[in-house]
Parts: sequence; C-alpha cells; structure tokens
Amino acid sequence: MPAKFDLNDSSVVVIIGSGAGGGTLANELAQKGISSVVLEAGKRIEITDFKNDEDGMFGLFTWLDPRTTSGSWYVAKTSPDLPVWICKLVGGTTIHWGACALRFQEHEFKPRTRYGAIAGANLLDWPIDLKEMEPYYDRAELKMGVTGTHGIPLLPASSHGKVLFAGAKKMGYTKFQTTNMAINSVPRDGRASCQQTGFCVQGCTFGAKWSTLYTEVPAAEATGKAEIRPESQVLHIEHDASGKVTGVVYADSKGALQRQKARIVAVAGNSIESPRLLLNSSSSKFPQGLANSSGQVGKNYMRHMTSTVFAIFDKPVHMYRGTAQSGIVMDEARLDTKRGFVGGYQMELLPQGLPSFAQNIVPGAWGRDRASIIDSYANIAGVWLIGEDLPRETNRITLHPQRKDKFGLPIPNVHSDDHPNDLAMQKHAFAQADALYTSIGAKRTVHRLSFPSTHNMGTNRMSEKPQDGVVNRYGQSHDIKNLFVSDGSQFTSSGGENPTLTIVALAIRQAEFIADQMAHSAI
Amino acid sequence: MRLLNWTRRFSRRGFLTGSAATIAAVAATGGTVLADSQAGSLAEAGRLTSEESRALLKFTRDLFPHDRLDDSFYARAIAPLQDEAGKDASTRRLLAGGVAQLDRLAMAAAGKPFADVADEKTRVAVIKQVDGSAFFTKVYGDTIVGLYNQPEVWPKFGYEGPSSALGGYIHRGFSDIDWL
Repeated sequence: MPAKFDLNDSSVVVIIGSGAGGGTLANELAQKGISSVVLEAGKRIEITDFKNDEDGMFGLFTWLDPRTTSGSWYVAKTSPDLPVWICKLVGGTTIHWGACALRFQEHEFKPRTRYGAIAGANLLDWPIDLKEMEPYYDRAELKMGVTGTHGIPLLPASSHGKVLFAGAKKMGYTKFQTTNMAINSVPRDGRASCQQTGFCVQGCTFGAKWSTLYTEVPAAEATGKAEIRPESQVLHIEHDASGKVTGVVYADSKGALQRQKARIVAVAGNSIESPRLLLNSSSSKFPQGLANSSGQVGKNYMRHMTSTVFAIFDKPVHMYRGTAQSGIVMDEARLDTKRGFVGGYQMELLPQGLPSFAQNIVPGAWGRDRASIIDSYANIAGVWLIGEDLPRETNRITLHPQRKDKFGLPIPNVHSDDHPNDLAMQKHAFAQADALYTSIGAKRTVHRLSFPSTHNMGTNRMSEKPQDGVVNRYGQSHDIKNLFVSDGSQFTSSGGENPTLTIVALAIRQAEFIADQMAHSAI
Repeated sequence: MRLLNWTRRFSRRGFLTGSAATIAAVAATGGTVLADSQAGSLAEAGRLTSEESRALLKFTRDLFPHDRLDDSFYARAIAPLQDEAGKDASTRRLLAGGVAQLDRLAMAAAGKPFADVADEKTRVAVIKQVDGSAFFTKVYGDTIVGLYNQPEVWPKFGYEGPSSALGGYIHRGFSDIDWL
C-alpha cells in the first residue's frame, strides 16, 4: 500500500524524479525499509493510456516546458525550442526509451587514461571501473529482464534486423545479433512477452518493455515505504546554516507551494533539469548553486554522437514491424584510434512510423527529391549511429538571463558545439553504414544528422577529486553529504552505449551506500 | 513475405494538430513579412476564398508532391489552416498575403496566378522565392503534420499504423523477409 508522509517528516529521503534513476532508487531503498517521497513533475498515467500514435504520444509524454539553445550544433538550427526528447510523467523517460540495455566497456570508464589529453575536451576518468560495476550490472539486468543475459533468451530478428545483419556479414563484421533488450522475450516478472508491435518508443502497450512506471514504482509502493507525488515540480532545495540540505520547495498539482522536509535529497530529473535545479537553488552560502564549489554543475553536457542512415532498397522491408531497436552491430564500438577518433559507436536499428519519418527525414526540405524518399517508405531500412561524444566545459546547461518559467524561475539554455572528434566519428559512421547497406543492394542512402537526444549525460559529473566534478563515486555531492545525484547527469563520460542500464546499476549501488551511511548515522 | 492489402480500411482518426514544437520541422523563421499596406482589406478573420484555397492546395502539393495521392488528401491537410483563418485575423492575413505574393511572383514569371501555372518547374522557382518566409514556415509546419497523419494516407506508402489491437506483428509477418 502506498505510504503517506507528512510534509514535516524530516526522516524521509526525497527523490526528485521517477525515471530510471529516481524510480529505481525509491524501490531499492524501500526494499531495505527506507522511506522516500518521490516528487515527480509530470502526471501519472497507466499502460492503458498508451496509444500506437506517434504524434499523440509525443504530445502526451514529452517535456515541453520552454528551453532555449545556443551553439553550432545541428539541433540548435532544426529544433531550437526542443533540444532534447525526454519525458515528463511518472516513469520518466523509461516510458519512451528503446530498451537497449548495454554495459559500458572497460576503457569507457577511463577515457582520460586511455585516450590521453585531447584539446578542447574536458576528459576525466570515472572514479569507478567496470570490475566494480559488474555485480551491479548483473543486478540491473536481472531486475530489468535483459535478453541475452542470465539465461534470458534473445528476441527473434525482425525483417528490418535481418537486413542489418546481412549487410554486417558482407562487411566482415562479426558482432551482430538482436540487441540485449530490457524487453521480455518470455513472460517474466508478471509482465507479458514482446508481441512485436513496433511502437516501443510510444510506450509498450503490452508492458513487455521495462519501465519504472509499472515495475519499480508500484513495487516501492507495495512495501508501504514510498509515496509518489505526481505533478509536483521541485523549485528549490533548501539547506541549513551548516550547509546540510533540509528539504525541498515544490509546486503541487494546483500550483501551490509546499515544503517537504527531508533527511536526504536525491536529484534525478535528467541532465537538463537536475543541474538547473542545483543552479536555481543558489543561496548566500552557495552563491554558485548547490554542490557547485567545483564550478562543474551544468558543464560537460553530452548527448552522444547521434546520427541516422536510412537506406532505400528495391524490395519491401517494412521497418515498422517488430521490436523497434532489436538489432545491433557492435564491431565499431571498439577503441581503435587508427580510424581517426577516440571512442567508438554502436549501430542500432532505428525504424520510424510514416508520420515521424515524413516529418523528420530532411528537416525543412520540400519538393520532388524529398517526396521520392517518402514514396519509398516501405522499402527503407534505418540504422542509428550512437557513439561516445567528448565532454567539453563549454557544452553546458545555464540559466537563461531573462526568460522565466511559469513559477518565475529562469529556464535552462542548452549550449553545444560538436568536438572535432565527434565529427570525425560521425563521418566514419556514415561511411560504414552507407557501405553496409550498399553491399546488399541499397540504391540510395539518406543521412540524418542529430535529433533532439534522449541520451543526456554529464552535467553533474562524478570525480575522484572534489575540484574536478560534482559528485563522488556513489553520486554523493562532494560539498553536501546528504545531497545525491541519481540520474545520467552523474556520468563522467558518455561511452558508446545507451545510458539507461548504467543509470539503473548506479542507482542500485547508490541505494546500498545510502542504507549503509544511514545505518552508521553518517548522514 | 506478407504484403499489404492496399484496399484495407483504417479507422479514421481526427487531425492531430501536433505541437508548436513538433519535432523540428523547419529552419529558422523570418524573411518576408507582409506590409500593412499590402494586407489592405484582409485584416478580418474569415475563411479563405475558393481561389485562395486552390492556390494553397497547389502550394502544399508542390511542397510534398506525391503522385499517388489525389487532391483530397491535400485538401484535408490544409483544412485546419482554413479553420484557423476563419477564427484568427492574423492567420487569415498571413495566408492570404502569402497567396497574394505567390500570385504576384507567378504573374511576373508566367503571366498567370500561381494555381494556373501548369509548369511545375515554374511553380517551384516561385516557391523558392518564399522559402523561409513566415507564410512558408506556417504552411509547411502545419501541413507536413496534417498530410502524413491521415490514416488513409498510410497504406498508400505501405505503412500499417497501430498494431496493438491486432496483436502486434508477432503473427503477422514481422520477420518474413524473403529477398535477402
């Protein structure tokens, strides 16, 4: 039964956000008997509200509050008001995610050591390594039911996947398969198996895809140790004279301000809102914002080298049929600087329904050439090229100097300039994907540059030394012992893999640390 | 492999107006703004004239020229714009002014109003001159949603739309490709 906590109950952990980080943390703490109040800015909907409707679901779940952009990145030109595509609902972006659940590679935790010093990049090693993360990856995979791990069968290949694999084979690639997905290939954990609907990213109507909305959140509530408050947007984190955080001020569903006291505050609002909240919580004691003695809050924004190649064939593919992203080629994810860049990239299936495809394939284009691409829709295959982008101090979230949201707080600006390494990787990835599809008869390929990213990382990064980052190896703020960051903003580097599995593994690990610290009265 | 039954009927959905932010449709706005003196009597809200609507339909077809689609699909794509013009004076002014500019440019190029120019290349050359204007941006952004969100359009491109109610594709050919 869901708990109900008093606003003045200062024994609770307040968790801001209910997605992969916040939702998982609440459940992990609840299973250890630790009480939490989860404040979620968005509404609570249920699986029955999901529709196989690209535009309808976009409007229903996307975080559409005002944001601005700057910098030379493509998104600032094509989508200046919507720099990222993340969700505002209970469950957060786990409703929308494609469910590729990949571990980071060993070298990706140590980019500064393995890549060396790179001009224009703010590279830093994570204070943790793969070996230390492995047990938590195991637990995350078991929790989420990741296919191809722990004896859980892989999903079957779709026609769209078979096209990718045929091309990969021609290229001499060897590491291709249906992806490790947090989508049930067999009934598991009280949830159905995948029915190959093809609408994974609109919300899985069968609940086969893992989302905190219907796994972690109700599991936490069932313990009687967690209360989820939807439509509760946190505006400030408060602290006492010693600097310890004491609670948060939030706007409830009616817009009324409420103050929830807390023993611990964990921020999990994704890589735009989390640093924004810390910056908006500045005080006379912390004039640069909370947890920001390093000056790194909001900096090192990463979004992955994210580009897409669509290939037009003479014969039908019907890319929209089947599990959307269940096909991957991993050969280019290795570290091999002979290719002209550091880091690597994954090649993952990326189908789109006709409305999305037609609206996005060539932004701003019109006329016969564009129409001819849409005319070939049934015969098109698509692959998404996701790779490690480098942290830069100048790629950052800042508070807008003039524009305010409906609560009177500065809105976030997202600034990004591609690093030359990102562009070298993108060029290589386009050439490889072109060759892959051409090798099996594609008559034309179309390159699509960055979309508003769903992978957003790095803006409250982990560091060994307090001067290099915002949080320590447990996501605990260097400056304030009872303030934690529990989402992808704590990533020190972006890796070449989809971030969710790592976010969940870190949340499991963080819950252990918090429980231990509470047991020892250290926080 | 299982191919589409092109005659299959899809349930009708209403038009989705999308969001102003609807994924990044168009590059920065700006460009041509209609001067007040040119707008003249167009300041009142009201539906577009049939001549204006004809030009708007032709313009939309030239933006998204699919020979497999008859004019009825484009008429449905511009219908929300006509409704908006009926309620909002500034939209009416923007659309009527944009059409007037297309007509002026077409008269200069071919001696006929835009919708009467038979040669597609000539019309395309006219459209290039208004690409990026407020009129262009508004029509492009609204009709790219209104055209491709029509369920009746989908089978024309081999897209089947919602699948959940049909049990997904697990028993309907998700992996039956036969030409590799």
